[in-house]
Amino acid sequence: MRNTLAIARKELSIYFTTPWAWVVFTAMVGITAFFFVGSLSFFRTINELARNMGWARMPGEYQSFKNLTDGVIAPLWGVMIVITAIVAPILSMRLFAEEKRNKTFELLMTAPVRPIEIVLGKYLGGLVIVTTTLGLTILFPLILSLYGKSESGSALEWSTILLGYLGVLLYGASCLAVGMFVSSLTESQMLAGVITIIVMLALLLVKGLTQTADEPLRSIMGYLSFDTQLQNLMKGVLDLKAIVYVASISVFFIFLTHRSVEAQRWS
Amino acid sequence: MAMIEVKGLTKRYRDRVAVDGLSFEVGEGEILGFLGPNGAGKSTTMKILTGFLPASEGTAKVAGFDVFEAPMEVKRRIGYLPETPPLYAEMTVKAYLHFVATLKGVPRAQLKSELERVATRCGLLHVMGRVIQNLSKGYRQRVGIAQALLGSPPVLILDEPTEGLDPAQRAEVRQLAGKHTVILSTHILPEVQMTCQKVLILNQGKLVAYDEIHRLAQNAAQPGAAEPSLEEVFIKLTAA
Repeated sequence: MRNTLAIARKELSIYFTTPWAWVVFTAMVGITAFFFVGSLSFFRTINELARNMGWARMPGEYQSFKNLTDGVIAPLWGVMIVITAIVAPILSMRLFAEEKRNKTFELLMTAPVRPIEIVLGKYLGGLVIVTTTLGLTILFPLILSLYGKSESGSALEWSTILLGYLGVLLYGASCLAVGMFVSSLTESQMLAGVITIIVMLALLLVKGLTQTADEPLRSIMGYLSFDTQLQNLMKGVLDLKAIVYVASISVFFIFLTHRSVEAQRWS
Repeated sequence: MAMIEVKGLTKRYRDRVAVDGLSFEVGEGEILGFLGPNGAGKSTTMKILTGFLPASEGTAKVAGFDVFEAPMEVKRRIGYLPETPPLYAEMTVKAYLHFVATLKGVPRAQLKSELERVATRCGLLHVMGRVIQNLSKGYRQRVGIAQALLGSPPVLILDEPTEGLDPAQRAEVRQLAGKHTVILSTHILPEVQMTCQKVLILNQGKLVAYDEIHRLAQNAAQPGAAEPSLEEVFIKLTAA
């Protein structure tokens, strides 16, 4: 436990002394802010239109613009997930590849530390940065709850928002686990980063690619797609199946990373 | 009892044999010098002893524990300086040593005094706050040595510890012997003569000489000629 925390702290101190943490924070908040402004003005236009025509005569897909949570925040999660698919691999790519290239891996492997402690320490360090990166965007719901109004009490449904954030966070955690595993296979950070980004984007898009596929391929691919799995959480439904699916991806890749580090002792 | 016991150690990389049937023993408190031309298998042997690489055949024991069967027990007893000092360039010397001391299980209450002890010994006290990246090669090497000394392990395995050090610093490294059992590799032969009681000369993965220094010279002496220097012995043995 002490070793795990020591390694996590070391990872954190390196993320913060190199510009990586700051670059990632800025990218996430900056890009999300851009979409937040866009999403907000679109919400305003739709609501003005609805006030003139009445909600009953509005097309079905505009019904989600009745409230700020579904109309403004939910679309932001989609954006945040795509940013996470790019940013989390950038954070995870150095975890093992850098140690191997700089020969510091030898220090970790010859210190009285178990491989699982190394893997968990590194994962924990990365997870703190990913959580912080996503956590910073809570700024946007906060702005809405301060300045927004709703006919029925509170401007936002916080239960939906928390579930949505849980979904995005679980997604970030699994990106990190996949990225850590890829990083443990190579000495090249660049290679680890690029491969992970490709894998994560492919898993996001796999549903779109199989729209025209036959059953049962279509259901299987749809089930594997993060996009489908996260849909319910983002609508504010406590979907345990989705939580288990996304969390088990993290656990599986942490396990694979452990195997990969342990294999060093046998090769 | 032998502190380090190596029997029939062999390491193969696909079709290349890096270490071939190596056997030797190092008694407690002894200092063994590893000699050999580049690529002779010195570093590989050290990596196997520290548990970083597995052997293809043979066994290695440290303080009675098999390196492969009981890696944690072995790792707890070894301070290791690899060929390239394993440093995190972004950290300060102090933060780095603190991190390594924690990994080595130095109790929290003793961390500060242990860091101070090692830093004093390696002449690092005035650079503790500096970022490792900005240190000269010699100082980086010293940080590497300091890292190996943390927690006073009974066995030290040092891969070219005097590389990049000035003569005064080298003399300091020689003082490290004493209560540790040490294996060190070096290219500087006079260094070995001053520091080690025994030497082990490797050539192409095979042991070509393993003896006390003065006997090595005696054995190699031609009848009637003067006793050869260690350098002459080394060149003769590794020429084959």
